[in-house]
Amino acid sequence: MKLPIEIRNNEPPPILGSWRNLNILVLSWLAFLILLFYAFTLYFS
Amino acid sequence: MTPLDWIVMIATVIAIPSFGLWRGRGSKTVNQYLLAGKTMPWYAMGLSIMATQASAITFIATTGQAYVDGMRFVQFYFGLPIAMVILSATAVPIFHRSGVYTAYEYLERRFDAKTRALAAIVFLIQRGMAVGLAIYAPAIVMSVIFGWPDRLTTLLIGIVCVIYTTKGGIPAVTWTDVMQMSIIFSGLIFALITVVSLMPHSVSFADAVYLAGAVGKLNAVDLHFDPNNRYNLWSGLIGGSFLALGYFGCDQSQVQRYLTGKSVAQSRLGLLFNAMAKVPMQFFILFVGAMVFVFYLFIPPPMLFEKTAMTAIAGQRQYSQVQNHFDSAWQRRKAAAEALNLARKHDDETRVQASIAEYRAAQKDIESARQSGISLYEKSAGQNGFNDTNYIFLSFVTKYFPVGIIGLVIAVIFTAAMSSSSGELNSLAAVSVMDLYRRHFRKEASDHHYLLVSRIFTAAWGAWAVIFAQYAKNLGSLVEAVNRVGSFFYPVLLGAFVLAFFFHRVRGSAAFWGMLVGEATIIACALFTNVAFLWYNVIGAVVVIVSGLIFSMAQASDPPKLSVMSSGGMQAD
Repeated sequence: MKLPIEIRNNEPPPILGSWRNLNILVLSWLAFLILLFYAFTLYFS
Repeated sequence: MTPLDWIVMIATVIAIPSFGLWRGRGSKTVNQYLLAGKTMPWYAMGLSIMATQASAITFIATTGQAYVDGMRFVQFYFGLPIAMVILSATAVPIFHRSGVYTAYEYLERRFDAKTRALAAIVFLIQRGMAVGLAIYAPAIVMSVIFGWPDRLTTLLIGIVCVIYTTKGGIPAVTWTDVMQMSIIFSGLIFALITVVSLMPHSVSFADAVYLAGAVGKLNAVDLHFDPNNRYNLWSGLIGGSFLALGYFGCDQSQVQRYLTGKSVAQSRLGLLFNAMAKVPMQFFILFVGAMVFVFYLFIPPPMLFEKTAMTAIAGQRQYSQVQNHFDSAWQRRKAAAEALNLARKHDDETRVQASIAEYRAAQKDIESARQSGISLYEKSAGQNGFNDTNYIFLSFVTKYFPVGIIGLVIAVIFTAAMSSSSGELNSLAAVSVMDLYRRHFRKEASDHHYLLVSRIFTAAWGAWAVIFAQYAKNLGSLVEAVNRVGSFFYPVLLGAFVLAFFFHRVRGSAAFWGMLVGEATIIACALFTNVAFLWYNVIGAVVVIVSGLIFSMAQASDPPKLSVMSSGGMQAD
């Protein structure tokens, strides 16, 4: 299994400096939402 | 509806496509018509992706879902951001730099013509039926709520949609989607404000949230793993990721959105914007449904929200008994909710606990009464699986919303139907022209010819969608079957694309047979197991990949086809 060449030639994102940082932001946002919704579920049930 | 509602609705429905046509004017080449000349900014793509996914019925049904079942449906979307991150790093740069018009064109470059044709035909069958239903579903709801003739409604939605999609191509579709999503967001905010303001004065927003949560309507996250349970954290994260990978990575109606980006970076950003906005948006829609539930704690709801079903059971012998049970259960629940609210205000913990127990028991009682009403209808109609969740929100809106806002909400429903249909029509035309017409019937022709044919195919698919919608009522259970088709085919397409992207030694025949084995496995799962459908996406994709690799090893003596990935990128035309 090898990464295609198109994936390896990356342009930087317009914000946060790298795609890695942006991906971390998105996944952290998801984790935050899940935790928030879980707390919401526990608190109101 | 009042004249003001009609004015708001008609003005919105006409103004938005007009704006799209104006912004998308000047599609002079097939590249501009199908890919917007690759000029779209990230926010337009992100909103267009969201608009294409959110059909009218999603908007109507999701609020009803929260009313009946609480907010656990939000977990269905937890896999989406994960899929967006993966696709933005893989599919977006691959498709973009390969210069393809369709996702399936890439499959031929990587594998062979038969794999491309199989994927294209699967897409056309699935989307061809879905686009008709996208128009039909809101029309049937309107016909029950307002008594509008459903055939006329489908015709009107279809005509407006076909005009702007055929004339403006994907630039018009995308800019229309941007406006449509803005209207949808505004409509949702208005809906929440209105429903909260309609509560009795003694019930604050915090009280309303508490009352919804006390009977499990705010159960957004369920940590228990159960493969037969459709919505829990694990099925959402794992099954939902695979489903979203299949839909956003392999369905041309979505792939085409991010192929229009100015650059790979803009397209990636568009997907990541969707990743961040989608889950909160779905949570918000469900929350509106939960607030509608609280509203009906204090105002009597109909036993069944579908008027025709209520009319059908009204003449039944047991009707008055069931209705009396429902009415007394509602009175009991109202009293319990008020007692609970009062106990909370007095900070009396003993009374709070006692009131909660009574409130929950009353909720069970009213659910049981409603179930009796449903059973009565099913018995009289001779059908099982009656579901009126699609009617809950609209029935509430038309009865209690202020003048003008009703028109806005109905416009939201129409624009949501048009935004998903227009994206689908444009992608159906792209696949028909690029993967079939140009590939198999007319390989060498002028750009003007393909532009003209693209317009003809868009109009033809639009006509098909309207005709399909006209007769959808007579299709009965086929409608349900069509809605499940996506879960049967996306995993197979996803498996094929994973093989194409990451396993360079796998060739066309191995991928083709792997797809067939994967499809057979999904059908077997559906027929012989109780596994929830979200898991088909995981099982199907894994089976395609594994069997594709096994077939590939068996054919290892054949030389591999040159892949586009080693060519340093190809350009469309």
